[in-house]
Amino acid sequence: MIGDGKGGAAATTEVLMTDARERLLVRARRDGLETVGYRVVDSPLGPLWIAVGPKGVLTIHYGAEPSQGELARIVRTYGPGVLPDPRRADPVARELDQYFNGRRRAFDVAFDLAGLTDFQRRILAATARVPFGDVSTYAKVAARAGSEKASRAAGQALGANPIPIVVPCHRILASDGTMGGYSGGLDAKRVLLRLERGSVPKATQYR
Amino acid sequence: METAAAFYTSGMTELLTFGDLLSRHEREIFVYALRLTGDRDDADDIYQETFLAAFKGWPPPRRGQERAWLYRIATNKVIDRARRAKRLVRMDDLRLAAPERDGVSLADLGAAVKVLPEGQRAAFVLRKVQGLDYADVARALECSEEAARSRVAEAMKKVREAMK
Repeated sequence: MIGDGKGGAAATTEVLMTDARERLLVRARRDGLETVGYRVVDSPLGPLWIAVGPKGVLTIHYGAEPSQGELARIVRTYGPGVLPDPRRADPVARELDQYFNGRRRAFDVAFDLAGLTDFQRRILAATARVPFGDVSTYAKVAARAGSEKASRAAGQALGANPIPIVVPCHRILASDGTMGGYSGGLDAKRVLLRLERGSVPKATQYR
Repeated sequence: METAAAFYTSGMTELLTFGDLLSRHEREIFVYALRLTGDRDDADDIYQETFLAAFKGWPPPRRGQERAWLYRIATNKVIDRARRAKRLVRMDDLRLAAPERDGVSLADLGAAVKVLPEGQRAAFVLRKVQGLDYADVARALECSEEAARSRVAEAMKKVREAMK
């Protein structure tokens, strides 16, 4: 009796729900409630969890779910309104896709380093200036950020880079030319360097 | 964000966002609103008002009881609206939220929407259709568990009478 057409009813409820949710988000924004939209995209390096806030890309995380630390930074900065919102993450998803397909060398999307320390921000800003296909070292990035002797701290700041790929910390190597570290794993770092340079730099080459 | 910080560190390590709460409970709250009002437009309004209120009132008062908190907000919205206007039950809309549990039919639900006053109707739907335990029903209705049990029993009696 009720069984008949139940599938149809469920489908209609889904449609009503989707509608209601879209209006909810519009009303939240109108009421001044800040939201951060996220989505998961596929990439040659596996799934990436991407979050976009009111000022730009906040997080690109290697994996389908954010780390608690990254989520905490977002919530500290913009409150609890972290919502699935594929459309908002579309521009950066598109640019990443172009990058991985060899059709993009620089990212145009805005990114947001809110919630990081001043030192981290300076290191990441210096890193963002290393162009496609180039590499630099932790020591040089530290020097450019105004802290010549802080190459170890620079390494840590880059290890905590919330926006890898777009802020290209994969282009930063150890001073002896070895790979150093990478939040997505050293294999991912090699893939990115190979994508940009055709090969992975040999140790000691960039002393 | 001080209260939020306290909320996040109150014993459970996992960070809970409004988005988590929305994805976990939006469907059941929407269906609950539909079951209580029998009208898709009313349900839509109640869904939106409930989650807007939850967003504005963030964080939830008690970790681990977010679901009952949402039901409480939704129930109060339904009661507020009922005071303002008298509704007609639209069976077509109610059918969209046909009970998925044994023992309660769509006709029972229709009868409940027609004959029960809001408080009893909420108790009936929370326990018999949404399947909350009595502790959560009590939290949602802001009453004791004993009162929740007697409201549900009273509601069941009236629904059975109406179905005769």
